[in-house]
Amino acid sequence: MDLGYLILQVLVFPGLLFTAVAGLITSWVDRKVTARVQMRVGPPFLQPFYDVLKLMIKETCIPAGTARGLFLSAPLFGMAAAALASLLIWRAFLVPGQTFSGDIIVILYLLTIPAVSVILGSFASQNPLASLGGSREMKLLLAYELPFVLAILVPVIHTHSIRLFDLLAAAPAVYKPSGIIAFAVAIICMQAKLTLVPFDAPEAETELTGGAYVEYSGPPLGVFKLTRAMMLFTMPIFLVAIFCNGIAFDKGALPILLGVLKYLGLVVVVVLIRNTAPRLRIDQAVKFFWGPVTLAALVAVIAAFLGW
Amino acid sequence: MRGNDRVATHNCHSRSNRESRKVAAFDGLSNMELLLNSMVLPVTFPLAAGILCLLLPKAFDRARSVLATVASAITVLIVCRLLLEWKQLPGNAPMILSGSAWGSLRLDHLSSFILLVTTVFGFLISLYSMGYMRGKERLREYYAWLLGTIGIACGVILANNLLLLLIFWGLLGFALYVMIGIAGPEAAEAAKKSLIIVGGSDCLLMLGVTIVWVLADTLTLSSIRMDLADGIRYVAFFCFAIAALAKAGAMPFHSWVPDCGAQAPASVAAFLPAALDKLLGIYLLVRLTTGMFVMNTAMNTLLMLVGAGTIICAVMMALVQHDLKRLLSYHAVSQVGYMVLGIGTGTALGIAGGLFHMLNNTIYKSALFLCAGSVEKKTGTTDLDNLGGLAKVMPLTFVSCLVAALAISGIPPLNGFYSKWMIYQAMVDSGRNGNCLWLIFLATAMFGSALTLASFVKVLHAVFLCKRSAELRHRDIREVGFSMWLPGIGLACLCVIFGVFAYQLPLATMIFPAVGGVVQLSGAWYASVATVLLLAAYALGVLVYLLSTVRKARSCNTYIGGEIMEEVFHHKGTDGKVENVEVTGVDFYKTVEDLSPLREIFGAARAKLFDIYDLGGKVSAYFWEILRAAHGGLLPMYLTWVLAGLLVLLWMLFSGGRVAI
Repeated sequence: MDLGYLILQVLVFPGLLFTAVAGLITSWVDRKVTARVQMRVGPPFLQPFYDVLKLMIKETCIPAGTARGLFLSAPLFGMAAAALASLLIWRAFLVPGQTFSGDIIVILYLLTIPAVSVILGSFASQNPLASLGGSREMKLLLAYELPFVLAILVPVIHTHSIRLFDLLAAAPAVYKPSGIIAFAVAIICMQAKLTLVPFDAPEAETELTGGAYVEYSGPPLGVFKLTRAMMLFTMPIFLVAIFCNGIAFDKGALPILLGVLKYLGLVVVVVLIRNTAPRLRIDQAVKFFWGPVTLAALVAVIAAFLGW
Repeated sequence: MRGNDRVATHNCHSRSNRESRKVAAFDGLSNMELLLNSMVLPVTFPLAAGILCLLLPKAFDRARSVLATVASAITVLIVCRLLLEWKQLPGNAPMILSGSAWGSLRLDHLSSFILLVTTVFGFLISLYSMGYMRGKERLREYYAWLLGTIGIACGVILANNLLLLLIFWGLLGFALYVMIGIAGPEAAEAAKKSLIIVGGSDCLLMLGVTIVWVLADTLTLSSIRMDLADGIRYVAFFCFAIAALAKAGAMPFHSWVPDCGAQAPASVAAFLPAALDKLLGIYLLVRLTTGMFVMNTAMNTLLMLVGAGTIICAVMMALVQHDLKRLLSYHAVSQVGYMVLGIGTGTALGIAGGLFHMLNNTIYKSALFLCAGSVEKKTGTTDLDNLGGLAKVMPLTFVSCLVAALAISGIPPLNGFYSKWMIYQAMVDSGRNGNCLWLIFLATAMFGSALTLASFVKVLHAVFLCKRSAELRHRDIREVGFSMWLPGIGLACLCVIFGVFAYQLPLATMIFPAVGGVVQLSGAWYASVATVLLLAAYALGVLVYLLSTVRKARSCNTYIGGEIMEEVFHHKGTDGKVENVEVTGVDFYKTVEDLSPLREIFGAARAKLFDIYDLGGKVSAYFWEILRAAHGGLLPMYLTWVLAGLLVLLWMLFSGGRVAI
């Protein structure tokens, strides 16, 4: 394996730069659709880029007496992990033969790192609001992790493989009833993983004034925002890959277009959920995920075992 | 001893049957030569040094700690020399020292790896103890038993005779009892509990050894191989397995670990329940499942069930603890679950994963306990409510704790992730072989890993990141001394190295040979490449920082509601006490704890309804009550009993063999 080439991949395409640009475009879609739902015009296409660039030239403040190293590194680790996860997913699309068995588990763990970095960063802020936000983020992670893993495992049961490439080659999971249930569960979990309404308790503008991000400013905040945008792009792509065969690049233009449409459709679902649901309290969210959502995931798992 | 020269040298033997190769025979050695034999020396040298520690008078406490550290370092060298000697054997055959008097000793891939890890940890703990135990009472016994434990553990690992193994195993349980008790009278209860649970499992081990002896007609570990064909063999297997699981601290034989971890000195907790007992328990379990017994699907599934249950229950308990050392102890229990789960898959990959996880757990769990010890040494408490803000003043301790915490939570690319990933893969494989519960176990294990992260997030917040508690705010707290931070930092580095170079270093050299070297990894997770990629993306971020305003970052007060936080939150209450309204992190999971079925379960766990020690106590108390009635203190009553017994004996004697005694 050519290491230099891989580094280029992780930094430019399909890693950091590509994911960031695509994520910012996705966040424009999000904002535009939201505006339409609320009968507004919505921002211009480049607005998300302006926002991040503006943060990059703003002043940075660091809380006195904190662990500076952790405070500043936390956003970077989240961003790096998101870039690597994106690289692993896209490599399964682009160079299918070269992926390794068990890459789904690696991607799952990498996709939790952005949340971990938010938590550690918020704790390093030494602000009670940030601490509360961080703890809510952690509880949310606990809540959705169980049903999310169960849902992801449904296609794994269908194909008996934990290699993303094998899932892409097999029949899409959503063709079976168990796959449909699991897909629905995974979408709900994704909503929480992106901390979007109704699961935005960690940030809760009205009560925690930004929660986890309350002490962040300037470039570190910009990196956090960028990571969020990257996740907004990577998570739907991951679900499309797991449940709907992803995007096929070796069969001409039509399948690529179809793949992009699948992705955009999923994004619109995310945006519509976030615009139509009220925020849940954190204990309600935990109950919701450990109760009905996990139950649905278990039903899907049992159905998958029975071959449905 | 005897004149005949039957000492065979390593190189001139090339029999076809490798197992029967005798590297040296006891009969040909004099007593002195026997004690200095390179295979016996890892046992005798630390024991001798321990006795020396015991003999030094009290005035030489400083010299004693130096002596113990040097002696444990020499033990590492002795083991290294032994391993080199063994590596020179043709074909890496097991090295055997046999004889009639002591049974035999045997060194193969599995035992060599565990032997090395054990002695290295012995050294690190001795080094740490130099600072941690300074000025404490009963140092004489402490160091004597520390070195003694190293020697006894080497004995367990090298023993190839079940009786020898049993003797060393029992001694180790006793060593545990003494070393917990060194903390003082308040630790006596925990010490007793450990002794009863571990000692009880030793009795089962004794029963198991007896059964195996009768059935297999041999006590030589390496030549026993049994099918689980009938009931009595299952009994033997369960006896051995319970002994192994109780030593490792798997549920339901775990309840001594939290008490021990909370009460014993941190160095003892880091050495025994966190490191050594895991190593030995898992060592015996691997010997059982890969050597002594031929496993079947039902037994493997049972093991996996124990593993998955241990992971989830123990980590849930860890989540709600308020004491740092107790919290860590629950993790010491929970992590065993992953190892048992890996071994329970029965595949080479799973067993390798379990062994690797055992090694990794030893590294990060010891590091965490050592950090807890350092915090305790500097602040005088391990209560999470009364700590905070130590990241700034104890940066080295913080970094080692952070790395170890992320490693135990399975954050890639650290070592904990690699071994978990191996175990997960083995579980999917076991599903292909017809095990239908694998998915539940897999989901449990992955969820357990999230819960682990959650409880360590709480630790990091409460100990290192939140503002200092009122008690500590005006104290001058400094970083611990060299001998105390060095082991922690060294272990944290190992967490990184064993994660990044997992395949090249521990797996290829130690763990794959230990499971027979036939491990199939279909395209591995290239941890080192992934690390380079992560670092590249990270470096790009740093570059952005350097080009932007971060260089001129301003340090400012934290405000809340427009007011400086300290002024709002740290005013004195009406009774003159400083009020601490801050978020310490201890109650982060209160919402989880209060969820409906969990609240009742936690309540039951607090009432010790799941504690085998308390349950056993209640059951035996019931029988005591019956027996107590017979002890009325009345002489005529006792005389009646004696007479009745005599009559029974006479009847048996004169019934002429019709009653078999």
